[in-house]
Amino acid sequence: MSTVTESGAIERELASVAGEAWVSTGDSEAFEINGIRPAWTVAPGSAEEVAAILRIANERDLVVAPAGGSTKQQVGGIPERIDILLRLERLNQIAHYDPGDLTIGVEAGIRFSEMQRALTEHQQWIPLDAPFSSAASKPKAATIGGLLATASFGPLKSGFGGLRDFCIGLQFVTADGKIAKGGGRVVKNVAGYDLMKLMIGSFGSLAIITKANFKVFPAPRQTCTFVCSFPSLPEALKFRDAILKSPLTPICLEIISPQASEYLCNPPTPRNPDDYAPSQPVGQPPSTWYIALRATGSDNVLGRFRRELGEQVARELEGGDEAQYWSWVAHFEYSILERHRNALVVYTHVSIQNGGPAIQALEKVAPDYNFVPAMVGRGATGNLVMGFIPLAVGPPSAMEYANCASAFRSLLPAGSSAIVRHCPKEAKRHFDVWGSSPSDLTMMQAVKTAIDPKKILNRGRFIV
Amino acid sequence: MDSSVLRQLRKIAGQEAVLDRPEDLMLYEYDAGVDKSRPGAVVFPQNTEQVSRIMRLAHEKKVPVVPRGAGTGLSGGAIARKEAIVLSLARMNRILELDIPNQRAVVQPGVVNLELSNAAAPLGFYYAPDPSSQKACTIGGNVAENSGGPHTLALGVTVNHVTGVEVVLPDGRVVEFGGKAQDSCGLDLTGFFVGSEGTLGIATRITVRLTRLPESVATLLAIFNNVQDAANTVVAITQSGITPSALEMIEGWLLQAIEAAVHAGYPLDAGAVLLIELEGMKEAVEEQAEAVQLACLNQKAREVRRAKSEQERQLLWLGRKTAFGAIGRINSSYYTQDGVIPRTKIPSTLAEIARIGEKYSLKIGNVFHAGDGNLHPLILFDGRDPRGRETSRLAAKEIMNYCMSVGGSITGEHGVGMEKMNLMPLMFNEDDLNVMMRLRNAFNPESILNPQKMLPETHMCREITAPLPKAKVEPVPELHL
Repeated sequence: MSTVTESGAIERELASVAGEAWVSTGDSEAFEINGIRPAWTVAPGSAEEVAAILRIANERDLVVAPAGGSTKQQVGGIPERIDILLRLERLNQIAHYDPGDLTIGVEAGIRFSEMQRALTEHQQWIPLDAPFSSAASKPKAATIGGLLATASFGPLKSGFGGLRDFCIGLQFVTADGKIAKGGGRVVKNVAGYDLMKLMIGSFGSLAIITKANFKVFPAPRQTCTFVCSFPSLPEALKFRDAILKSPLTPICLEIISPQASEYLCNPPTPRNPDDYAPSQPVGQPPSTWYIALRATGSDNVLGRFRRELGEQVARELEGGDEAQYWSWVAHFEYSILERHRNALVVYTHVSIQNGGPAIQALEKVAPDYNFVPAMVGRGATGNLVMGFIPLAVGPPSAMEYANCASAFRSLLPAGSSAIVRHCPKEAKRHFDVWGSSPSDLTMMQAVKTAIDPKKILNRGRFIV
Repeated sequence: MDSSVLRQLRKIAGQEAVLDRPEDLMLYEYDAGVDKSRPGAVVFPQNTEQVSRIMRLAHEKKVPVVPRGAGTGLSGGAIARKEAIVLSLARMNRILELDIPNQRAVVQPGVVNLELSNAAAPLGFYYAPDPSSQKACTIGGNVAENSGGPHTLALGVTVNHVTGVEVVLPDGRVVEFGGKAQDSCGLDLTGFFVGSEGTLGIATRITVRLTRLPESVATLLAIFNNVQDAANTVVAITQSGITPSALEMIEGWLLQAIEAAVHAGYPLDAGAVLLIELEGMKEAVEEQAEAVQLACLNQKAREVRRAKSEQERQLLWLGRKTAFGAIGRINSSYYTQDGVIPRTKIPSTLAEIARIGEKYSLKIGNVFHAGDGNLHPLILFDGRDPRGRETSRLAAKEIMNYCMSVGGSITGEHGVGMEKMNLMPLMFNEDDLNVMMRLRNAFNPESILNPQKMLPETHMCREITAPLPKAKVEPVPELHL
């Protein structure tokens, strides 16, 4: 890319693979990733074209960033540079769907909601409610490839697990332009290494996912949600532990912090400042903690939940209200970002019992750095979404984001991970958004080197 | 085995913890499968540090090492070729922690699968994956093979229940992947490690999920006059929106063999039975049991029985889990396959297996995890007749080819190991295998650990490993029987 001639040559090569119409100089704000703009964007029409593009990139040491629905493109470190933004949007077909076998295979660029719609026609689903995965979230919509790459999940993770538990086969293209696969089309399979586990959550740093097979599940015929309220966090956690020991098997078990409720509703319409009236009495911050349980089953089963939960239940939700409520919970981090562009959002991965200490760490650290804490999280899995919302007066400096993240991490029990999902890009220069991992970093790097030795995929963005 | 290596092994693990006399080694030359090979020595380390020192020694002396649990595997994964050290984890058999509030157990690899469940049961929990060999097989072996079992239909296989491993790498380094949290930052090396068949490292401490014991269990025995009706019922149940915790099929003539061995209470004149289990909240279990019963009767079940007591339930399962042993009583030699097919293909595949049996004049029995399409055709042959061996090998290959032709897999839970290494190209092309080889080399570059397992040593693969010093390469045998 050092000269104009070379640049022209690369563009011609890319065009010869994908067709001129699908190659553009990507110097537009729309494709910016943490302030870095790609030199070119290419939208290949097949896995073979993806492979041909990667061969060009690998040979010329061009850095490639894959893109699906670009709903989580800003997560991660600042790219060293992006030469080619490789858009998977044209790989958007359902390759096979066998309702009788409860399996489906799709291309990576298909919107998750579109796949789910096909499954719904046969009363089946994939129990995943990650942000931007529902049909309601148009025009922004997560693709299968992007969800896999980012190991995305939502509240249903409590009851069903995550993509690593549903994905039974993957086709991907390695950095040197070879189309390869792992797994297969059947629900049980131990032939060869489990490459799906490696690719899921690798943030596009190992290979470009082009196709994925899943096992699917019968969709629940009816669900009901019980929102229980508690005056304090310890009481909420005690209730969580009682549920985990009880025979009840909720499909969602969400802990919701007092300030989070403000983000579990539609964004407020901009008010006329002349006609301003605060929605709550000023000076009394909310203090109620909630645990939302979602149950599925017959009337009998739901009746059992109702009986056993008894007086704890503050609100019961069904039908459209229920669906809306869970969509708000799933989109919590983005509701925060829509209202506070400069919020700091952290995902913590902790053991069940370390959920309490992690939430206490949030509640303690956020005010120290002029943030308001707000949290929703999967009580049964320790996947907590934590918002540090900057106060309108005295917003934190870039350095303070870094200090806040590090103060928060230092309070977490050993074995925890805390990934900074969102913060102003200026702040990202001051600290590592990924943080430490209980898993061995040298072996992660060895894996990266083994299949992308020139580090052309997402250089600088992921932990490896 | 080099005497200086033996001396150093004894120094590391203790005088009594190393075997090298032929009569002792004989016990370690096979697993529950068909391959056989005598190792050079067997060593029994008692802690992670000893495992690490043994691997450092092996790495330095370039002696291959094969980790071994209980030796109940069916694919030769724990069999060492000659001059290799078998590293038995049998003495690392302590449950280190039962952490009920976090729903985790931390165990050493030699802990027996069922013993973990038994230890957790008084606390209201158990370890869900339940291979048929669960009375003997170890958690370490389960991790290596990503073992399944009848109850993995609803709850998932080993990889869905392991959240962390401490691993000794082939050069002796000790590393951690994951922990008690469900997941963590960075690559999912825990998930990648599970099912790697001892080719990436040796798990020396394993953190697993414990599952709450269900409030209610219903065990049904659906009896059919023929195999096709039973097979159609599997498809009907799968499509009905109910996921049983287990859905097993046993073919008629095998029932007689099982009854002769354990008196499980199976009918002797049936064409096939389905053993169906439902578990969860009692309201849900009752409704599902009724729905499943109806589905069975709609598909021409002759009768549907329900276990009335825990004792009856245990008997029904005893019959299923000892089916292979029961066959051993009536026929000296049998060979079992582990192919997987899409569930709707069960009826046609069973018809095809019957056809193949007739073609080769072989008796083939089917006892398998019908709910997830994981077949275990049992091919009976006369072990004393070399022609029997050969024809059963041909029949097995034909069955496997059929599984592949309908979009299946060569192994659902037994692993590739030695036995199916040469079938890998049926599923994976050179580029696929190349990626796997590169990843193996990132962990195990000199193939010191469990060499010549899982990945076929094709021309291409040799090229990749060429610049590195290698363990002695022996010709890869044809599919053994």
